[in-house]
Amino acid sequence: MDIVQVKGLTKRFGGIVALDGADFSARLGEVHALLGENGAGKSTFIQILSGALNHDGGDILVDGQDYRPVNPDEALGRGIAAVFQELSLVPDLSVEQNIWFRREPRTWLRTVDVSQMRQQTLELFERYHFPSIATTREVRNLTLAERQIVEVAKGLAKNPRILILDEATSALPASEATWLLSLARQLADEGRLVIFISHRMGEVRAIADRVSVFRNGSTVATHDAAAVSDDQIVTEMIGRQLARLYPERMDTATDRVALQVRDFSSPPMLNGVNFDLREGEVLGVGGLQGHGQREMFQSLFGADKALGSVTLWGKPVCFDTPRQALSGSEGIALVPEDRRGQGLLLTKSVRENLSLPVIRRFSHLGLLNQRKEAELVRETMKSLSIKADTPEQIAGTLSGGNQQKVIFGKMLMTQARVLLLYDPTRGVDVGTKGEIFQLMRQLASEGYAILFYSSDLPELVNVADRVMVLRSGRVARMLEGDDITEEEILRAAVFDSEAA
Amino acid sequence: MNSSSKQLQSAQSMNMQSRLLAHAPFLVACSMLVVIVAIYGSLQTGVFTIDEINLNTAAAMTLMLAATGQTIVLLRGGIDLSIGGMISLGTVIAATRFGDDPANILLWSGIILAIGFGIGALTGLLISVLRLQPFLVTLAGWSILNGIALMILPTDGGKVPEWWIGSGYLEFLGLGTPVWILLALIVFWCWFRATRLCTIIKATGSSEKSAFLSGVSITRINIITYGLSGFFAALASLYLTTQIGGGSPNIGTDYILPSVAAAIIGGVSLFGGRGHLFGTIVGAYILTLIGNLVFVLRVSSYWQPVMSGVILLLAVLASSYAEQKARKRGS
Repeated sequence: MDIVQVKGLTKRFGGIVALDGADFSARLGEVHALLGENGAGKSTFIQILSGALNHDGGDILVDGQDYRPVNPDEALGRGIAAVFQELSLVPDLSVEQNIWFRREPRTWLRTVDVSQMRQQTLELFERYHFPSIATTREVRNLTLAERQIVEVAKGLAKNPRILILDEATSALPASEATWLLSLARQLADEGRLVIFISHRMGEVRAIADRVSVFRNGSTVATHDAAAVSDDQIVTEMIGRQLARLYPERMDTATDRVALQVRDFSSPPMLNGVNFDLREGEVLGVGGLQGHGQREMFQSLFGADKALGSVTLWGKPVCFDTPRQALSGSEGIALVPEDRRGQGLLLTKSVRENLSLPVIRRFSHLGLLNQRKEAELVRETMKSLSIKADTPEQIAGTLSGGNQQKVIFGKMLMTQARVLLLYDPTRGVDVGTKGEIFQLMRQLASEGYAILFYSSDLPELVNVADRVMVLRSGRVARMLEGDDITEEEILRAAVFDSEAA
Repeated sequence: MNSSSKQLQSAQSMNMQSRLLAHAPFLVACSMLVVIVAIYGSLQTGVFTIDEINLNTAAAMTLMLAATGQTIVLLRGGIDLSIGGMISLGTVIAATRFGDDPANILLWSGIILAIGFGIGALTGLLISVLRLQPFLVTLAGWSILNGIALMILPTDGGKVPEWWIGSGYLEFLGLGTPVWILLALIVFWCWFRATRLCTIIKATGSSEKSAFLSGVSITRINIITYGLSGFFAALASLYLTTQIGGGSPNIGTDYILPSVAAAIIGGVSLFGGRGHLFGTIVGAYILTLIGNLVFVLRVSSYWQPVMSGVILLLAVLASSYAEQKARKRGS
């Protein structure tokens, strides 16, 4: 018998219908993938399942008994735990404190038994082959990827029968993502149910036993993973046939160097990076996570300090703050990694988000020219097809893909023509991904120069004109033409280029 | 092999550094205290005697008790201005209800502590249910409690028995009552900070959303933290009656901002999640000793608030500097 059975589940937020009669069924011992565009209802569905939200209508049966948890604790009582995309970790607590939060082992004095807690953490890490993370580090000092791993540990520490992984791989570099996939498999083989959400078809293929597709708040179909084609799944997800995910590659690069970088370093992460980014070019940046990519992007944007020379459109520049980087037509704009934290003001409207970086352009003597602002905002929203009811809609209520488009819009309004894109498709659905790639190519053909980091190898291979692979804070290899393959990127990332 | 052990070493030294950085605000407070004591000691004889320690601890104790509750609320990411009203209320209830009978005094002490916790808990509940800023709710609470205190005792007065006053000046092993209270506070904190509850309070202060997603009941945590703050304010008021020998319907106001300042100087973050009571204790000593310093320097007493302000500024600078350093390292 299936452990989870869902019939006709509905959920509304005000006038918005998030779930509209979703059906679902899954059994212990399987990895069950949920697919669907952003806004299709997957997130709402798993939030209900994990007790973070309650549902309006429909029935959920767990073990054949009615299930309506009012909070995550109650869900856990029935054996369900979720690893959320919005990380639930507390920045000021250590890794181990977070993993065992509220369930710490205690001494007879009712104090936390630290050595026991450490022991349990190490056992957990060992049993599931966790990538090594010092258990006493404070979470605020961890990278996004490390936090995601700790989040997984926190979910596992609850020893659930049903574990929900919500896009847990999207923040992870390739090797850790592979680890997580085998972990999901291991858990299913232990007799648990893993509900797995990912936008990466390859991952779903690699581990899922069954696949359920969501569209517009209900489930379209459930398939055996082995018996269904990618095309069919994509068609079901978007309700039509997607022409193609990756745009045709056009050689729009000119000989003009937009961004010249020499001896760019900020030890220990960056140790002398050299490259030229040309006008009209999409230059991919690859490599294992933590080899200087993030530092390079942050420093180029002026958010961190680095040594070395940077020349922008032939003029040497030195940005100490993002404000300097963004000012003027010869600037640099960045799409950051953590869009919810760094890129968007979630509680502000789309209009305010778009105009913030360029607010000076609309103001005269400290007064805002609202008509001019409205005009430009409307134009940007239209050209990026941002799906919002009005420019006044709060950014946090948009779907992930649309939030990402707002960040793109923000960047384009600055008039900077060198764009730094740091993992711009992370957690973005397949349809929006296609649009983003299309947009990148279009911008390149208009003369923008784009530096593009992605943790997803196929994206680099299919979108970038050249790919530079960073290792230990240096350019390990610059791949061009037919050399740009997933194997070559990985090889350069892992081995010494000479030895390989 | 060699390079990996080197890496390990550098990782360890980085870890050491970041630990030092994490404690930087506290260490800065400690050094400020040392400097102040040094100046004080060089100008005045007999500073380094047990008597002097007893005396200064007695002077700092009301503030320390009030600041203990404030520290707990600050760790949760809140602030409690109502302690001013609670301290006043506590002293006037004691001054009008104590009488001479020890049993009665014990009873009313218990009632005052219960009122402190109860009103604090109610404040916490209001903050959660009405979803209002703690600053506003506790500001209102201060005003209301202050008003009630004035209704009970319109001017300074009332009385507490001599032996009750004397209990504030007992000595055991050469150490006076306030030093023993301080030791009790330290023991309490050593225990409290290792409890699950303290972790939850700090977690809620660090990120309310994360804590909520991890199953923490924010309402419950607010009730407990503000309740504890009210409890410690009531405790402070009981101690204060041994110092002033009666009730004073406005006296608590003098402790509101110093209680926050003592915590901040000691490295407790105004934004929640970071800090500990030892810092607050150091901060309370600093604020108290500045008064002595002004006295022995023979300058106008108006310099005391000026110096307190400068020290507060220095402390905040130190912690924000450490914060920035730590963040650089982290990212």
